[in-house]
Amino acid sequence: METLRQLLVGREISELSRVAHLLDEPEQLAAAVGNVLPSATAQASHVQLSEVLAPVVEGATRRSVQKNPRTLTEILYPLLLPAIRKSIGEKIDATFQSLNESLKYIFTLRGLKWRLESWRTGTSFAEVVLKHSLVYRVEHAFLIHGLSGLLITHVAAENATSEDPQLISSMLSAIQDFVKDSFNEKDQEGLDTIRFGELRLWSQPGPFATLAVVIRGNPPEELHEILSDVLLRIHAEHAEALEQFDGDSSKLIGIETQLQTCVDLKQQDSHQGFPWLLLAAALLILGAVGGWLFYSWQTSQRWQAYVTRLESQPGIIVTEQKMSGRQFYVAGLRDPLAADPQSLLSGTQVDPARVHSRWQFYQSLQPEFVLKRLTASLAPPASVRLSIADNGIVAEGNATAAWIDRARAAAQQLSAGGPFLDIRVREVDPEKLAEAHWHDYVSRLETKPGIIVGEHHIRDGQFYIAGLRDPLAVDPISLLSETQVDPARVHSNWQYYQSLQPEFVLKRLTAALAPPKTVRLSTLGDRILAEGEAPAAWIDSARAAAQQLSAGGPVFDISKVREVDPQKIDAERWQAYVSRLETQSGIIVGEHRIHDGQFYIAGLRDPLAVDPLPLISEAQLDPSRVHSHWQSYESLEPEFVLKRLSASLAPSKSIRLSIAGNRIVAEGEAPANWIDRARAAAQQLPAGGPLLDISKVREVDPQKLDEEHWQAYVSQLEDQTGIIVTEQKVEQGQFYIAGLRDPLAADPLALLAGTQLDPTRVHSHWQFYQSFQPEFVLKRLTASLAPPKSVRLSIVDDRIVAEGDAPATWIARARAAAQRLSADGLTLEVANLRDMSLGNLNRFKRGIEAIDIFFDSGKAVPGTTQMPVLDKLASDLKELTEMTREAGVTARFMLTGHSDATGRDTANLSLSLARAETVRALLKKRGVDPELLSVRGAGTFEPAESDDSLVGKPANRRVKVTVSLE
Amino acid sequence: MLQKKICMLGGFSVGKTSLVRRFVQSIFSETYMTTVGVKIDKKNVELPDRTVNLILWDLAGEDDIGSFRVSYVRGATGLVLVVDGTRPATLAVALTLRERAEAEFGAMPGVLLFNKSDLADQWAISDLEMNELKTNGWPVYLTSALTGNSVDDAFHRLAEMVAH
Repeated sequence: METLRQLLVGREISELSRVAHLLDEPEQLAAAVGNVLPSATAQASHVQLSEVLAPVVEGATRRSVQKNPRTLTEILYPLLLPAIRKSIGEKIDATFQSLNESLKYIFTLRGLKWRLESWRTGTSFAEVVLKHSLVYRVEHAFLIHGLSGLLITHVAAENATSEDPQLISSMLSAIQDFVKDSFNEKDQEGLDTIRFGELRLWSQPGPFATLAVVIRGNPPEELHEILSDVLLRIHAEHAEALEQFDGDSSKLIGIETQLQTCVDLKQQDSHQGFPWLLLAAALLILGAVGGWLFYSWQTSQRWQAYVTRLESQPGIIVTEQKMSGRQFYVAGLRDPLAADPQSLLSGTQVDPARVHSRWQFYQSLQPEFVLKRLTASLAPPASVRLSIADNGIVAEGNATAAWIDRARAAAQQLSAGGPFLDIRVREVDPEKLAEAHWHDYVSRLETKPGIIVGEHHIRDGQFYIAGLRDPLAVDPISLLSETQVDPARVHSNWQYYQSLQPEFVLKRLTAALAPPKTVRLSTLGDRILAEGEAPAAWIDSARAAAQQLSAGGPVFDISKVREVDPQKIDAERWQAYVSRLETQSGIIVGEHRIHDGQFYIAGLRDPLAVDPLPLISEAQLDPSRVHSHWQSYESLEPEFVLKRLSASLAPSKSIRLSIAGNRIVAEGEAPANWIDRARAAAQQLPAGGPLLDISKVREVDPQKLDEEHWQAYVSQLEDQTGIIVTEQKVEQGQFYIAGLRDPLAADPLALLAGTQLDPTRVHSHWQFYQSFQPEFVLKRLTASLAPPKSVRLSIVDDRIVAEGDAPATWIARARAAAQRLSADGLTLEVANLRDMSLGNLNRFKRGIEAIDIFFDSGKAVPGTTQMPVLDKLASDLKELTEMTREAGVTARFMLTGHSDATGRDTANLSLSLARAETVRALLKKRGVDPELLSVRGAGTFEPAESDDSLVGKPANRRVKVTVSLE
Repeated sequence: MLQKKICMLGGFSVGKTSLVRRFVQSIFSETYMTTVGVKIDKKNVELPDRTVNLILWDLAGEDDIGSFRVSYVRGATGLVLVVDGTRPATLAVALTLRERAEAEFGAMPGVLLFNKSDLADQWAISDLEMNELKTNGWPVYLTSALTGNSVDDAFHRLAEMVAH
C-alpha cells in the first residue's frame, strides 16, 4: 500500500510535504508570500485594498509618529514647507492690504460709519468695506478644468461682452502653460493676476479646477477671499465630478449658481467719502486760530507803531512799554514842552481805554526845548533872533544891554550837558534904536510929496517934528504907526499949505473947476494941461483959475480946449433930425425952429409912415425939449396908396399888386365882384395920387375856377390805375363823384387834398373792386402765393410771368392760381418755373452716390491720388446742401466704409469704420458740415465685387456715400 | 454638449492652419501661434446622438523636435497629425511627435492627414507607405487645404472616436 501510494503519488506527496513544510516554516512562507506580494497587491482591487489597509496605514503612521515624529516630518517636509510659506505670504499680503485700506478709511466719515456698522453687525470691517467701496464689477467667471483647459462652466454679467468662453478658457490654460514652460517653473502654481487697463483677470487655482474671474474696475483685495471661498465650496461639493471631468458638463449642474454669486459682485459707488467733517472742523479751527493770531498781531503792531512814534518824538523818552493781557503799559519821561503822548494816541488805532501811561516830567536838554524855554524866559525883543546851530543856541541881533545881561545870566544857568547859549547880540542902546527909527521916519516923510519937513529933533527922549503938509498929501501921523516909533513920544506940528506941485494943483483944479466930461486934465512936466472941448463959460472960468494959480506953481494950460457952443451942438443935432425926417416917405416936415433952447417941429405924417417921436432919442436930443406937432394925412405916394389898397381890397392870392412908376398895377385874375370893388376903389382914389390900374386883372368866374379845379381832379383820378370814375357832376356849387377803386390803388380823398377844392363841397362815393390790371393782380398774387425768394413775378405786356426755381408744392399752387385767373381772363404764366424738388436733386444725388474713394490694403487713409476725388465730392456735397436748403429740405449723408476679405472679419470691420471716419474728417476739412455726415463700417459684408479676383479686392476697399433727403 | 481637447501636430509648414481655417470657428489670429505657440479653434461636429465640441489646439509646427511643447498636449483626448505629402520628411516628424505625446500622456486616438493632395505631381509618399500606415491603427485621409477635400470627414471620424 505504502509503495503504491509512493508510486502513484510519490511526487505529489513530496510536493505536498514541501508545500506543508513551506507553510509550517514561517520564514519560508514569508519569503514565498513576499515574492508574490507586490504583484498580488497590484492585481488586487484597489478599492477593497484601500479599505482594508486604511486602518493599518493609520496605525502604522501613528506608531511612526509616536516612535519618532521626526521621521514623518522629514518625509512630509518637502510638501509642507512650500505650502506654509505660501500661506504665510498670502496672509501677510492680505494683512498689509487691509491695513492699507483701513488707513485709507480711518479719517473719513464713511470709514467711521462703516466701523460702526461692522461693530454693530458683527461682520469684519473688510466685509463692510467690500460692501461699500470701490467701483468694480465682476463681468465673467470661468471654471476651467485644470488638466485639459476645457471650460466647465461660464457665467457672464449682464451687458458683458465676450467671445467664445470655451476658446478663451483654453487659451488661458495655454498661456499658463507657456509661462510655466518658458520660465521653468516647477511649482504647481498657476497664473495669479493679469491686469489689462481697466480689466483684471484673477485666477484662483484649485486642485482640479481653476476659477478665473474678469473684473472691470478696482476691486478690493477682500474679493480674493470670497473667490477662494467659492472655489473651496465648489470643490467640496463636486470633488469627484471635477476630478473625473472628461468634457461632459452634464454631470456638473448646480455649479453655475455658485459662479453666479461671483458675477453678482459689484459696486457702483466709488466715492471714498471725502472727509468733509474733518475738513470743516480743521478749517474752522484753523480759521479761528488764524483769526485770533492775526488780531493779536495787528494789535501788537499798532501798539508798536504808537511806541515808535513816541520814541521818535523829541522830548519824550520811553523807558518801558509792554503788552500784558489785553492792556498796554507805557512809562517814561516827557518834557512839558514836548507833544502830549495822550494826544499822539489818538492818531493810532490803539484803544485809549486800554492804555496805561505813566509820564514823569523832565527837562529835556535837547536844543529845541532849551530854545523854547529860553524864548519863554528871556522874551527876546524882535531885534533878536534865537536859533539852533550845531548843538547850541545862538542869539543874534541887537538888544539893549539889560537884555544882554539877562541873557548872559540865563546862559550860565543852563544845565550842564545841555546846549549852550551863544550870545552874539550886539548891544544896542534902546534910545539909539529909537532914534534910528525916528530918523527912518523922518526921511520917509521927506520923500513924500506934499509934505515938507521943516525941522525935527529929539529932546529928552521925545521926538519933535514940524513942517508943512498939503491937505491932499498923505497923513504923517498915519505913517507913524508903520514905524516902530512910539507915537506917544512924538510931537508933530504940521501946518497946511498948498503945495505947488503939479499933482496937487491938478487935484485942486479938478475939484474947483469940475471940468465936463469932454475935458481932460493932465500933468505934463510942470504944467497942467487941459484938453478937449468945453463951452465958453467953462473956458472962461478955467482961464480965471489959471490966473489965480500961485506963482511958482505949475502953469495951467488951457490952449487946447476948444470952445464949443452947446447950443450949436444941439442945433446941429436938431438939423440932422429934421433932415432925416424929411427924407422919410410919408412925412412932410412943415416947419421947425429952435427957440430958447427948445425945439419945435410940425408937419404931416401918414399914419403908415414911420413914427418921428422915437427918432428923437436916436438923434441924441433931449425929448423934453422937443415939441412936435404932427398931423395925419393920407400920403398919395404909391407905396402908401398900395398899402391902403391892399388893406381895403384884400386881394386873393391870385392877385398881385405892385407899383410901376407912379401907378399901382394889379395883375392876375379875380372874380367879377372883386374887380368891381377894385374899380370902385380906383375911382375913390384921391386925385393927384397914383392911379390904380386893374386892366391886367382877368375876370374869372369863381364857379368856373372851381369847375376847372374839379375837372383837373377828376382827370387825375381817371389817370390813376385802379380807379374807375363812373360819374361826376357839379350841381349848385357841390361836387359829386362816384366810381370804383381797387383797395390797392391810391386813395381819391388823399388826392383831393392836393387840389384847391373845398373838401366840404365834395361828395365821393367809391366802391371797392378788384382791378384786373396786371399790376394789381400781381400785388394780390404776391400776397396770396408768397413766392419763395427763388421765384420772381413780373409783368410782361399784360401778362404776369413767374420765373425761377420753386418746390413742386408751390408750383402746384401757382398753377391752381393761374387757372383761377384765366377764368377771369388773366394770364399767369408758370411754364418757366423749374421744379427743384426732386428731379434736379435726384440727379445730383445719384452723381454723388456714384463716387467712390479707394484705399490701399490695410490702410484707413486714402492715397494722394484720391484727393481730387475728395475735393469734387466735398464741393458736390456742399452744393447739394445749398440746393436742398433753398427747397426747404435737409440732406444727410452716410459714409459707409468697406474692406476686402483679407484678414479677420473683426479687423476688417474696424478698418472699414476707420476708413469712413477718415473720409468724414477729410470732408470736414474741405468745408462740408460734419453734422450732416454720419459714418458706418460694413467690413467685408457688402463687397462691390467678388473678392477672389485681383480686381475685386481693390474695388472693395472703398468708402461710399449715401444721400438721404428729408 | 461634450467638449474634447484635440491637439493638431505637424512639422513646419505642412498646412495645418490653412487646412482647418475654413472649417473652424476662430477668434484668435495666427500671431498667437508665433508668440504663445498655440492657436485655439473650435469645431462643432454633429454626431447622431450628440454634438461634440472639438477644442482644437493648433500647435506651431517645428522642424526641430526638441522644441516641441509637449505640455500643451496635457489633457488632450485626441490628436490630428498633419503631413505634407510633397515632403516625406514631415511624415517622420509627425510620427515622432505622436510618440512623444503618447509617451508623456499615454495613448490616445487620432487621425493622420496627408495634406496638399492637390499637388499630385509633387506627391512623394508612396501608396505602399500609406497603406501600411492605414493598417497601423489610425485612420488616414488625403486632404487639400485648397479644395477642402476630406477635412470634414476627418473631423467627423475623430469626433466619433473621442466621444465614445
